[in-house]
Amino acid sequence: MKQNNMLAMILAGGRGSRLHELTNKVAKPAVSYGGKYRIVDFPLSNCANSGIDVVGVLTQYESVLLNSYVAAGGRWGLDARDSGVFVLPPREKADANLDVYRGTADAISQNIDFIDSYSPDYLLVLSGDHIYKMNYAKMLAHHNECNADATIAVIEVPKKEASRFGIMNTDENGCIVEFEEKPEHPKSNLASMGIYIFSWKTLRKMLIADMKNADSNHDFGKDIIPALLADNRKLVAYKFKGYWKDVGTIDSLWEANMDLLDSDNDLDLSDPTWKIYTEDTTTLPQYLGPDADIKRAYITQGCVVDGEVKNSVLFTGAKVGKGAKIIDSVLMPGVEVEEGAVVKRALVANDVRIGKGAKVGSANSEHIELVAKRVKGVE
Amino acid sequence: MCDALGIVSFAGNHIWVEGLHDYRPIAAFSFLGRYRIVDFPISNMSNSGMDHIQVYLNAKPRSLIEHLGSGRHYNINSKRGKLHMLFAGSMIDHDMYNNDIAAYMENLESIAHANQPYVIIAPSYMVYKQDFRSLLNTHIESGADITLLYHSVDNAKDAYVNCDILNLNKQKGVLSIEKNRGNAKNRNIFMDTYVMRKDLFIDLIKQAKKTSSLYTLSDIVSSECGENGSLDIRGASHRGYFAAITDFKGYYNANIELTDYSTATSLFESNWPIYTRTNDSSPTHYSEDGSAKNSVISNGCLIEGTVENSVIGRGCTIKEGAVVKNCVILSDVTIGAGIHAENLVIDRNAKLTKVKEVAADEGDPHYVKRYDMI
Repeated sequence: MKQNNMLAMILAGGRGSRLHELTNKVAKPAVSYGGKYRIVDFPLSNCANSGIDVVGVLTQYESVLLNSYVAAGGRWGLDARDSGVFVLPPREKADANLDVYRGTADAISQNIDFIDSYSPDYLLVLSGDHIYKMNYAKMLAHHNECNADATIAVIEVPKKEASRFGIMNTDENGCIVEFEEKPEHPKSNLASMGIYIFSWKTLRKMLIADMKNADSNHDFGKDIIPALLADNRKLVAYKFKGYWKDVGTIDSLWEANMDLLDSDNDLDLSDPTWKIYTEDTTTLPQYLGPDADIKRAYITQGCVVDGEVKNSVLFTGAKVGKGAKIIDSVLMPGVEVEEGAVVKRALVANDVRIGKGAKVGSANSEHIELVAKRVKGVE
Repeated sequence: MCDALGIVSFAGNHIWVEGLHDYRPIAAFSFLGRYRIVDFPISNMSNSGMDHIQVYLNAKPRSLIEHLGSGRHYNINSKRGKLHMLFAGSMIDHDMYNNDIAAYMENLESIAHANQPYVIIAPSYMVYKQDFRSLLNTHIESGADITLLYHSVDNAKDAYVNCDILNLNKQKGVLSIEKNRGNAKNRNIFMDTYVMRKDLFIDLIKQAKKTSSLYTLSDIVSSECGENGSLDIRGASHRGYFAAITDFKGYYNANIELTDYSTATSLFESNWPIYTRTNDSSPTHYSEDGSAKNSVISNGCLIEGTVENSVIGRGCTIKEGAVVKNCVILSDVTIGAGIHAENLVIDRNAKLTKVKEVAADEGDPHYVKRYDMI
């Protein structure tokens, strides 16, 4: 807590049910992305790179894998003295019954004791399921320059898509005057990224009041932000420029992976000054066989390719047999595509095997096909 | 658990790998892109349940110390286990007195102090997979004083330069250890790997020191072999992939032959991970014109040109129109647009951008220096 007296809490309890089978066994933040990462690596690495030492991860849905994954704080360098990643599922307390987190704000409220034990000046609240690189130290500097009670990161979205987001309406000084959740007729195109910095004392009071309010949804967007505005607190917008993606659906997860194929993509995972850290695997480097035919691809260690890979992303340990074709597709960790099989416009889930000569997906489909079960070969 | 102290030894003074060796010991040579040679003996020991490992350093230790660090990445128990780096007395290359016995003498107390009754000594300049637990069991069951690991080869005439060979009798008793002079094809190459009781090891160190200040461990063990010797010394045969990084060609060939996936599976098995230090680099990006075949490519690269029959280290950039063939490229190398590179070992951070054609003859690879600009 010595570096900037800001503690981070990552909301990682969501199921992400629109990702279908991908989140049957794991929570959305633990879903694989970009060849070797999991989505939660992004907020965790951003914290580590921004000089935040203490990170709480609020887990709920299918949290076994996520808990053990984030608990190894050393992966992100968050393992020094007075530093750490703390897994915070709902827990039974002396003065309260065991209860699930009823909303994003309630997840923080139920951990006020944990936050107080570090007596931070600021609390950073993050989503565990967004893909972006951001220096939170710069956002904190903005928060302090504006003398704000709360700072909300916003990103400009195309006007016609604005009604899908929580929209912040600001005055000429960047102060937030109104917040509208998914407005039918948006007045601005500044979408909330679900990244908040609060002055902890102010937020603490609000959370305690919110806990007692029987009508509240206990949600940051629906309850806490409007309550702060009603209380005439100073809320400012922090404009973020760069890559940011909330991968809610199979289509958008596929698209976010495809974005990496652009040589000048904004995410730039190869930037040595802002690395994204993840689990270390003991696989071989990638092997490209005599019949490998690679064009526009993103391939990581442990892959063994002896077929055609075009416009595709291959995750750790994916194998592509001789004569197989992978086109416009994403192969998640451990996928095996056997000889002669063809995969087009598909996202193949972890460890799925596609048998010899089988064909999945189609070049002109409207949506990306999710392949989550073994596909038998064609003799 | 395995009741043996692990010792990772350094190469003798007769071994010198042209080029790369100027900057680091063989143990720290990059291998197959993401590994260092020393990862192999340490992973073998770690996977065999040995949790007390001593790595001996005799010269230019910087890159090796950086790579080994706390040793946590080798999956050694962080409380009960130890990965020790121990230094030779002189730390000077080409110093004839700077040999293994001198380094063991310097650290005799820490060897004596270890709790394990046995010692397994493996070199940091050879690449192989070996379960040391089963080797120790073989040693104990045989009742031998010393067990030496060897690999039978049929190409000792032109490869395995600077290696020793074992002459064995029919019962696998070691008759003698001698230099490979390249005068026969079929030889038992000694893998510089020893199993013995720790007290015998300490006696041999002292005896070697008393006999000659140039005596190495293999010299003193050799003097105990055969009819004149007083010890029962036996060979144990190794199966699977084996490479000796004892000369420049040996280094190049080992890398290139492992670009064949089926050859690699005789070294890498899923139940026997080879650990190394992570670099947190992103996956490798192939652009519209990037392509690769018959190659091993590490993470963090940008491939815009063509790569064939090569090993590419971490963080390399192969620009548009560049052609890389039969090369072993270490980390962070740039091959500029339109450059043709063939039959080369390119050391880290080198940049090939100006001269259009940098090629050596097949079978006679050339070396490009670290941080060199061509």
